[in-house]
Amino acid sequence: MKTIVSALALSLGFIGAASAAELRMSWWGGDGRHLATQEALKLCGAKLGHVVKPEFTGWQGHGERVTTQLAGRTEADVMQINWPWLHQFSADGSAFADLRDYADVIDLSQWTEDQLAGGTMNGKLNGLPVSVTGRVFYFNDAVFEKAGLPLPKSWADLEEAAKKLNPEGAYPFDAVKLNAIFIVSLAAAQQTGKDLIDPETGKVAWTEEELAEALKFYQSLSEKGVIRPWRTAVAVGNIELFDEAAWRDGKVGGSYEWDSTYGKYADPLVEGKLIPTPPFRVEGATSDGVYRKPSMVFSISKNSREPKAAAEIVNCLLNDPEAVTILGDTRGLPASAVALKTLTEAGKLSPELLEAAKIVSEASGPAVSPLNEHPAVREALNDAIEEMAYGQISPEEAASTIIRSVNRALTRM
Amino acid sequence: MSGESRFLGFWYVLPYVIGLLIFTGVPFVASFWLSFTDYRLMRGAEFVGLENYVDLFTADRTFMRSLNVTLAYVALTVPLKLAFALFIAVILNYKLRAIGFFRTAYYVPSILGGSIAVAVLWRYIFADTGLVNMALGVFGIEAINWFGDPATAMFTITLLRVWQFGSAMVIFLAALQSIDKSLYEAAAIDGASKWRVFLSITLPLLTPVIFFNLVMQMVQAFQEFNGPYVITNGGPLRATYLLPLYIYETAFKKFDMGYASAIAWALFAIIMVLTVVAFWSSKKWVYYAGDKRS
Repeated sequence: MKTIVSALALSLGFIGAASAAELRMSWWGGDGRHLATQEALKLCGAKLGHVVKPEFTGWQGHGERVTTQLAGRTEADVMQINWPWLHQFSADGSAFADLRDYADVIDLSQWTEDQLAGGTMNGKLNGLPVSVTGRVFYFNDAVFEKAGLPLPKSWADLEEAAKKLNPEGAYPFDAVKLNAIFIVSLAAAQQTGKDLIDPETGKVAWTEEELAEALKFYQSLSEKGVIRPWRTAVAVGNIELFDEAAWRDGKVGGSYEWDSTYGKYADPLVEGKLIPTPPFRVEGATSDGVYRKPSMVFSISKNSREPKAAAEIVNCLLNDPEAVTILGDTRGLPASAVALKTLTEAGKLSPELLEAAKIVSEASGPAVSPLNEHPAVREALNDAIEEMAYGQISPEEAASTIIRSVNRALTRM
Repeated sequence: MSGESRFLGFWYVLPYVIGLLIFTGVPFVASFWLSFTDYRLMRGAEFVGLENYVDLFTADRTFMRSLNVTLAYVALTVPLKLAFALFIAVILNYKLRAIGFFRTAYYVPSILGGSIAVAVLWRYIFADTGLVNMALGVFGIEAINWFGDPATAMFTITLLRVWQFGSAMVIFLAALQSIDKSLYEAAAIDGASKWRVFLSITLPLLTPVIFFNLVMQMVQAFQEFNGPYVITNGGPLRATYLLPLYIYETAFKKFDMGYASAIAWALFAIIMVLTVVAFWSSKKWVYYAGDKRS
């Protein structure tokens, strides 16, 4: 009998091996995400009888890598895709597999129809939302405690903090490069209640005067020592804030970041805890102006030789309680209902992340266009704000340049 | 020569020629065609005639700025690199102790210099709290914001390129060693000073090699990417935003392949014109021993 059972088990093993697929999965992220994803892939691979080769990088350059792979049809079977990329790669929905074709493998009932709509291009479900994300203010409590200050609750508080921190060579907040764009957009969205891009016309929604006001506000932050001057902030070269010694050592007290990147900014701190805070309102604000969007999605290559196996892996990563527990909050607060329930019950979600997600979901703000994150739009905003920060042009000139350049970029698209 | 051996050379070069045609020839022709199209990578190409070029030269502020930066970068790095390479080659041409070690040591930066790792290292060296500012501090000199000021940012990436002088140096060294020693002996008998010997014998006889290095270095400098991409990402104020960075971002960030091809062809045309100018001017300053004109 024992021999028969062993033979049966062996033959079943061979059957399993025959259906086993060799897959690739690509993603970007920090160390925490890399380690957890590799571990979860091992678990899912073992459960489903597949082998998944991980391909991971930092954020910088990942978009270019995926672009090249998609163009050369050498992309991974499973990909972590940034939400705005769906529009760039797959406006007609044809660049990725339609995940509704694998509804028998993926439990789509764990997402609301609204959530699925965020990953749907031209009627095809190109990506499953991993999480919803938005920008929140984060403050390192140790920076303010040391200065004998309460955690800031308004821009005025930050101005007061700057007076105490600047003599120590520290700044209460940071907003250069990409964050400068987000702060200017925040101020403009708060005052106008509108997103940068008008969904009706496909052009810039803000008038020159409205944008100039937001730019003046940004300029005032630098003048009052709330944020580091642009020139000072770039003195470290081309690296991100969380990699900077100034951030690590508490020379910068806060920043305006994605809620899903809490760990990336909290982990390097030598001292203190990162506290999420709702975005401060500028004078005359009509809304919170929060920038909120579907975060990353998981997509399956339309060129995959094993799309069903890839779908099984996606389902495992997003819905399997064990895999979800391993992944924890490394991609922010999960969008899948079962994943959220699992993590909440297991106490795996840090209170800070939950708080940050709550802030994002409760704050008001306009619906944002994915074109906000198009590199041509970003380039137009960044160039003009940088020139203004270096004192080469006035806020009015910057506003005029931005509107002209962004409209030109949108027309080219 | 038998029929078989007549084609032997052809067979030897065939693998290279095939590789050249597939990996250089085809993309070369394809990019020329694409430069007349609106090609968004995932959407296919649509012919738009000269639109990309018209846009480039009439409405694209970034292109004009990047072109100016690139020309300044080439104008700075090429003469500096050639002068430095020649200077070191002249020193290494002397019969010094452990000369083999020094020749190898000076060549090493050329192997490493273009790599991402060295660019990252460069970024740390010139950061506000980096090695250079620490060294300046020892002498009581105030720290310099190398990456925050457009002029000093350009200086840092220029220095990285000049540091990779090894290839040009090796070529200079080989040329120096091939100069007929009797010319130096004759000059010594005539009592010529070392400086006079260098100006009247060494330099004229090196002009073919200087010309070769000039063209090669110029072409390579126009194609520089790693240094500015890693160290400054083209900033501040696009002061280090060389054209290859612009091509890369247009192609792989904006996915605007047609426009990126047009920029690449504009860059190619500029390199071509400058190379033709260099060849034309070489008739006036390059000395070829045995040339009937000499």
